[in-house]
Amino acid sequence: MKRAFLVIIMLGVVLCLPRSPSPQAQEGYLANTPLPTVPIPPDNPQTDAKILLGKQLYFETRLSADNTISCATCHAPSTAWANHGKTDTGIRGQVGGRNSGTIIDAAYMRYQFWDGRAGSLEEQALGPIHNPIEMGETLENVVKKLNDIPGYHSQFQQVFGTDANTDGIAKAIAAFERTIVTGPSPFDRYKMGEKSALNAAAVRGMDLFNGKAHCSSCHSGPAFSDQGFHNLGVGYKDGKYSDVGRYAVTKNSKDMGSFKTPGLRNAAETWPYLHDGSEKTLMDVINLYDRGGVQNPNLDPMMLPLHLTANEKQDLEAFLNALTGPVPAINPPKLPE
Amino acid sequence: MRCKVTLAALAATILVGFLLGMVRPAWALPTFARKYGFDCTMCHSSFPRLNDFGQRYRMNGYQLPGREAEDKDVLHSPAPFAMRTSAGISYNTDNNPSNPASDLKRFQVNSLDLLSGGILGRNISYLVVYTPPMAASRSTAGQQASVEMANVVFSNLLCSTWLNLRAGRFEPACIPFSVARRLTISPYEVYNFGSPLGAPVNEPLEGVEVYGYGRQGWNWAAGAVNGTAYTTKVSADFYGRVSKVLGAGWGQTAGQRIGVTAYSGKVPDSTGTLQNFFRFGADASFNAAWINLSIQYILGMDRRELWPSGSTEKYVMHSGGFAQLNLMPIDKLAGFARLDLVKPQKPADLDRDQITRYTAGIRYYFVYQLALHLEYSHRIEKQLTGPDAKEDFGAVRLDFAF
Repeated sequence: MKRAFLVIIMLGVVLCLPRSPSPQAQEGYLANTPLPTVPIPPDNPQTDAKILLGKQLYFETRLSADNTISCATCHAPSTAWANHGKTDTGIRGQVGGRNSGTIIDAAYMRYQFWDGRAGSLEEQALGPIHNPIEMGETLENVVKKLNDIPGYHSQFQQVFGTDANTDGIAKAIAAFERTIVTGPSPFDRYKMGEKSALNAAAVRGMDLFNGKAHCSSCHSGPAFSDQGFHNLGVGYKDGKYSDVGRYAVTKNSKDMGSFKTPGLRNAAETWPYLHDGSEKTLMDVINLYDRGGVQNPNLDPMMLPLHLTANEKQDLEAFLNALTGPVPAINPPKLPE
Repeated sequence: MRCKVTLAALAATILVGFLLGMVRPAWALPTFARKYGFDCTMCHSSFPRLNDFGQRYRMNGYQLPGREAEDKDVLHSPAPFAMRTSAGISYNTDNNPSNPASDLKRFQVNSLDLLSGGILGRNISYLVVYTPPMAASRSTAGQQASVEMANVVFSNLLCSTWLNLRAGRFEPACIPFSVARRLTISPYEVYNFGSPLGAPVNEPLEGVEVYGYGRQGWNWAAGAVNGTAYTTKVSADFYGRVSKVLGAGWGQTAGQRIGVTAYSGKVPDSTGTLQNFFRFGADASFNAAWINLSIQYILGMDRRELWPSGSTEKYVMHSGGFAQLNLMPIDKLAGFARLDLVKPQKPADLDRDQITRYTAGIRYYFVYQLALHLEYSHRIEKQLTGPDAKEDFGAVRLDFAF
């Protein structure tokens, strides 16, 4: 009997040990928590002038070969900084193969693009400019165009102390994109103690998200992304992948058909979903997961049938809707002549 | 006496303090869930039964599949301890006049398990389940101190899920339906059935098991274990198992699983001479939405020397199994119903006759780690002569873990 008490005491002491971990550590290291401050790379500090320049460049159609497409064309503020089309349309009406992901909270993502081929926002910013299907312009031409516009030339001098160059373009656009982050969502307010911020359905959905529906095993952390790549089988048909995904970057067969785990904040506003925009609504995505994805040789091991009931699916959807927070209102800026 | 009271008061204070501290929802989770910030239902369809995700997680050495490189080890996780206990009213009546002591009807604390598990390093993990000693008393079902499980798992050897190794004391893969994580209090009769000279294959064994699995649903396992009889003689038992899951899932709550198992063991007879016994099993786990049907069949072959009979056959035979229906209509409710049947081929050879058990019950989960368990079980053992021995068991218990 004594020994049993001793065991209880020892266990109690160990579990009651005072500690002051981060909120995430308190809730488990994969727990979804409110967003921390935006990480800023040391070599690209935020300044107002740089953010303004980046904002202008973001809306600048002259970055494209035929002066018709800007970043904002496919990642428009009016459509939750994404595009409600299934896939993108670039210069000369060319249609791309992937859905435009939102740039909301992209600042928190370790990798950019669906296949993660860019390791930073700076690296990502230049990609669409010289993509022949998207903006189709050479970086050399873009630099020349900007230096030929006095307003831009002077701003680059002011911000970077140099003429316009690719490094400056990338840094300025990235600096602007780091300002497009969500404010507190009902979920965040709930986590911070405002228990009325979530209705009963959303609370049940949160439990499902962290439990039976297995969402948080990948959509983990403050940004609701494990920053990893997973194969859901989307686009796999007749023994073939319509898009090899991460494999194009790593050439590792284990990555065949895998795509980046997107963050889920404001996902309710960023339809359609998945890398090919093949699912129109959040409920469609929930149904895809409920089926366990699409069977294929490389299906992620965590993709398993869920057997969610209709009510549970609605609860899950209610929780996903509760991840929507306010985003800075941005109007297109006046562009330099 | 004063020392005992002080000790009890101290323990109670700390326990109450800890329970009050648990009001923070994130802490009110057992060890693995607490580590990640998951709910119990991530791995359990109805605690303690694992769902497919939980089964996959267990087979991967308590690492999230595909995320082994970033999974945190035990030194960088919350205290890796958990407790499980059960308290409630049980009653047991037995009409067998030779065993009147088994009659019982009282409120009891039935068990206490202390669990610890975690990752020691990438692809190396451990699990320990310790049962502290509890003296049997008016209100406590006694239990002996024992290390129920203590094993280390080396996962993904050769960078493949096809080869993993578990060493120590563990629940062997030759038990397709986990005894440790079953929903019922009533035992699986067929796993319990063994000769009087050797313990049956129904509990954790010590040794080494290698196992593997692939994405096409194939699973295999092979083990060498100490064996079911405690003897000073060196005698390893061996087993093997192959199973296949059809459709998506792992056969726990999704997918259709079929499997075959073979076990070869040795037990000393009354003269101390080791004698062979064998078990050949076939099992299936069928799933449709929230319904699971688990079926187990086992054929047993024991050397005649292991049974107190005058059989002239070299081996005496018995067979049996169970069919269990598990229902999980909603997260908070689980139902179960099972029919157990074990039958000697020639009762006179074993000096035992057919055993039949009917079990049914429900579990209601107030919260994920607290279940109200209601169970009724009726067991009939035919006697070679005279009336059947009948036993009724019922329980209303609170089963909780934290």
